[in-house]
Amino acid sequence: MSLYEGAVKRPIMTSLCFAAIVILGLFSLLKLPIDLMPDIETNTIMVLTYYNGASAEDIENNVTRPLENTLNSVEHLKHVTSNSRENVSVLTLEFEFGYDIDDLTNSVRDKLDMVSNSLPTNANTPILFKFSTDMIPIMLLKATAVESQGALYKILDEQVANPLARIDGVGTVSISGAPEREINVYMDAKLMEAYGISPAQVSAAIAAENQNVTGGTMDAGTQTFTVRIEGEFDDPSEMKNVIVGTHNGVNIYLKDVARIVDDVQERSQRTFTNGQQGAMIIVQKQSGANSVQIANEVEKMLPELQKNLPSDVQLGIIVNTSDNIKMTINTLFETVMYALLFVVLVVFVFLGRWRAMFIICITIPMSLIASFIYLYATGSSLNMISMSCLSIAIGSVVDDAIVVLENVTTHIERGADPKQASIHGTNEVAISVIASTLTMIAVFFPLTMVSGMAGVLFKELGWMMCIIMTVSTTSALSFTPMLCALMLKLKKKQSGFFHKLYSPIQARLDKLDEWYENRIKWAVRHRWTVIVGCVVFFLISIATMQIVGIKSEFMPAQDSGRVGANIELPIGTRVEIAQEMAQRLTQIWTERYGDLLTNCNFTVGQAGDNNTFASLSDNGSHLIKFNMQFVPSDKRDIGLVRICDEMRADCKAIPEITKYNVMLGGGNSSMGGQNNAKFEIYGYDMDATYSVATELATRLRESEGISQVIVSRSDFQPEIVVDFDHDKLGLQGIGLSSAASAVRNAITGSLLSYYREDGEEYDIKVRYEQTDRQSIEAVGNMLIPNNQGRQIRVKDVARVYESSIPPTIERKDRQRIVSVTAIMKEGYALSDGVELGQRLYSTIDMPQGVTIQVSGSYEDQQDSNRDLGTLFILVVILVYIVMAAQFESFSYPFIIMLSLIFAFSGIIFALCFTGLSLNIMSILGGILLVGIVVKNGIVLIDYTQLKREQGYGLIRSAVVAARSRLRPILMTTLTTILGMVPMAVSQGVGAEMWRPLGVSVIGGLTVSTILTLIYVPSMFCIFGGAGVKRKRKAFRKQLELDAYWKANKDKEQLKNKK
Amino acid sequence: MKAVMISFDQAHYENVLAVLDRMNARGFTMFPTTYGRGTKTGEAHYGSHAWPGTCSTIITIVDDNLVDGLLTRLKDVDEESPMLGLRVFTWNIEQTI
Repeated sequence: MSLYEGAVKRPIMTSLCFAAIVILGLFSLLKLPIDLMPDIETNTIMVLTYYNGASAEDIENNVTRPLENTLNSVEHLKHVTSNSRENVSVLTLEFEFGYDIDDLTNSVRDKLDMVSNSLPTNANTPILFKFSTDMIPIMLLKATAVESQGALYKILDEQVANPLARIDGVGTVSISGAPEREINVYMDAKLMEAYGISPAQVSAAIAAENQNVTGGTMDAGTQTFTVRIEGEFDDPSEMKNVIVGTHNGVNIYLKDVARIVDDVQERSQRTFTNGQQGAMIIVQKQSGANSVQIANEVEKMLPELQKNLPSDVQLGIIVNTSDNIKMTINTLFETVMYALLFVVLVVFVFLGRWRAMFIICITIPMSLIASFIYLYATGSSLNMISMSCLSIAIGSVVDDAIVVLENVTTHIERGADPKQASIHGTNEVAISVIASTLTMIAVFFPLTMVSGMAGVLFKELGWMMCIIMTVSTTSALSFTPMLCALMLKLKKKQSGFFHKLYSPIQARLDKLDEWYENRIKWAVRHRWTVIVGCVVFFLISIATMQIVGIKSEFMPAQDSGRVGANIELPIGTRVEIAQEMAQRLTQIWTERYGDLLTNCNFTVGQAGDNNTFASLSDNGSHLIKFNMQFVPSDKRDIGLVRICDEMRADCKAIPEITKYNVMLGGGNSSMGGQNNAKFEIYGYDMDATYSVATELATRLRESEGISQVIVSRSDFQPEIVVDFDHDKLGLQGIGLSSAASAVRNAITGSLLSYYREDGEEYDIKVRYEQTDRQSIEAVGNMLIPNNQGRQIRVKDVARVYESSIPPTIERKDRQRIVSVTAIMKEGYALSDGVELGQRLYSTIDMPQGVTIQVSGSYEDQQDSNRDLGTLFILVVILVYIVMAAQFESFSYPFIIMLSLIFAFSGIIFALCFTGLSLNIMSILGGILLVGIVVKNGIVLIDYTQLKREQGYGLIRSAVVAARSRLRPILMTTLTTILGMVPMAVSQGVGAEMWRPLGVSVIGGLTVSTILTLIYVPSMFCIFGGAGVKRKRKAFRKQLELDAYWKANKDKEQLKNKK
Repeated sequence: MKAVMISFDQAHYENVLAVLDRMNARGFTMFPTTYGRGTKTGEAHYGSHAWPGTCSTIITIVDDNLVDGLLTRLKDVDEESPMLGLRVFTWNIEQTI
């Protein structure tokens, strides 16, 4: 018993099987997390090696190079970049996408073990640092405070951060902008000198006083007691009376030489939100946890937490990444619903029967819901890719069911019993239904094999489409005939309302059939005209592309409403100046954007010395970091790209700002951020490369269409050098290390003891008064105790002078490099920037050994274009194979394949018309078109061939087939096009990502369908005509041969005998 | 005894079986898939790409008095849906075992 026969005969089993799929699917849907993108495995590993005291160049030669040379051989490595700066070498290994990062980490670790012996002996063991998406904060909270500012860290740490960290899935919760408490002991340099006390003495005295000591055990009567000596300070003021030394036989107390301030860290970051000082709480998730769920939990918890806080501390949300995710998925959900509605309407208009419409449309939810099972099983999520996949699939899943239903209806109308009609009707079309599904799978299955970034994005789409197509075909071959047998009847009575509604549509459709038949009759008799016309059309589209010019970019920039900005003032600018500047910018922006800007947060200041992250990113008092959140894109007229452009213009207008980087989307990731054209300048001579870089940057800045230009190399940093003279030190009896630590303690402070309160420890920092460490002279006047207890001035044993630290040495793929990154203004695409840059640098006089290469988004774009290009060829070959197998012919698939070029004309026109640029999404649209466009051709050729086999003449079969297949073709095309319309016109949040996909599919499919309907019958007649001529010729030859053979049989046979 | 050969479009299968049951013609032999075409208008049933339809053929040997009733009822079935096609032929049975 075949599938369909079994299904028709056992309706309960069939419907329950599909009910089970739907139930499982819905169950999976409930469990599916929501996310923006499929889980993208990170591909970056950092290797940090500390080598204290080494200069940037030493680090480069002794640490970075050996590491680079060894790690370069790790498999799947794409690029190795490095930063060598004073004391530290940071190596970044970027791998190809799609490989298990844990395996790669192990390989890197193995290689590191090999090289660690050849590193300098004083260099620390390299630290591996795996970057992951979990490190991107999912939420930024603000806490503004007035009176509680000083204790904000403690309040937030206890009342907010700890409870938040207990939420399931929350990784780390850190607080920035609220300085931690610190007990500062400020020594007066002059008094210290007068009393002959050294800083080391002071800190040692404090540490000696501030401790609890165990005093052993003691027996008393029947019991044994432990003895504890409590000496720790109960209050910082107790420190005042610590004896730090004696002078002329008199005790010197700490209060005599220093002042004790129970305050906050001297160097710390300050955070302001909407102009008000406060702190920022950064919530990161655990790896694999769902950000939307966590964000919901956090949001739910905030009012509870607020209750326990002092009344002046106000909690709020600066950035909630889940808002964007939720809104994007909601927009896509709407898109899917509209697509569903349109498809149902199209089916009704063409079939004109309620029951038929129901039978067809029930396959849509069934196949779509089935794909949720896959998502749940693979641990994926409802994301932009999986949701757009549903939108793409809606139009295609009904095709198979339509073909089956149509044939069953034909059988019923010929008088067959619905049950028998369903079995035989399905049997007849089963092969062609399977074949057309195979062509779709031939398109989507290769998507699962793409490598690189494109592969990460489209793997899920490929699998989902394959599954949806398979389920829809299975349903068309079992569920649809079962429903047909139950629901379709030959004899029917339609209501008056229905007639009123449907007769005009019916009349129009009939008229359309007739009109089309007449056109086809003309076309098959003027086939060469048609073909030439089509070729001309294609050439026009190519010419249009050349004239109008299609811009290209890697990926559309996503309008998440989030903007980040890193602003640099001249190096060494004090934090107060930076804060003033930040407040000025905040004012400009809040005034301009008003309610559109929901939160404007900035952080200034240098992170403390014990901040590990500080060594990874730039850190200094001259830096300002902005985090801004705008209202969702559908609630404002101005796009985020424009806003970023305006902000860059503001920064440009302020001369104090030396560098600015306004980042759309908040971070510099290639996904969803703005496209950048990055020019990498390779060359060993740092001055030469830097001069090329600055020249290119200046010319780019002057050019039109460039919004911002960043040169990667930082400026020289000012420093004060204390250069000790070893001879003098020896004469004075001071060792270099003790001299150095004395200077360090005086400036940075020594940390020998902690003050304990309520179970928390706070640093006790002992150092000079600020006024005693603010100039070169002050440093020169600092005192160093020698081994005889005498105090020696720094300037007596060392030369103190101002200098500058050479910038970080950057390398990429084992060569020194400086990069110039340009971001385009609104309306300019990546391709414009790349072209401009290439034109500019070709005119620059390049010094010997300096080369320029374009990378950044352009490189990603080239990579993914190459991947997608290979994919396209693979898809075309596979589809050709499927069609050739189905038709048992080489020429028919060729005719169909040729119709693909019209799809490209369509894409070109659509992109030119809408002004969108060619990016990874529109290329994906092009690949999808291969499957959809050939389907039309298959339907047409298959039926024409059938008519030929039934004995119709060439032209007649073409005309009859064309007329009879017009409606099915229009129907399947319209379902796909209308399914895409919501995608193309949607204005909701995140719509800019899939708009190019929708537009390219609609454009390509519309043009290719219209042309296919005329071109395929004509082409069929040309090939068919040639076939007929060939057959005639062969037949004539055979006749001639027969006649010849008859006449010369004896002679030929004799010859053979010889 | 007469042999009745019923050749029909597969879709008629249940109708033909119903007629046989109704007429108490219990015994029959069936060829589930047969190919053919009608003499005048009958569409070809080849089970091929161009002519996907197939026929079935039933041969039943019945008493002479049943033949007329059988033919009348089968004719009704045929006329109900002439597009499908159903033809009946009879001949005499000489001997059986």
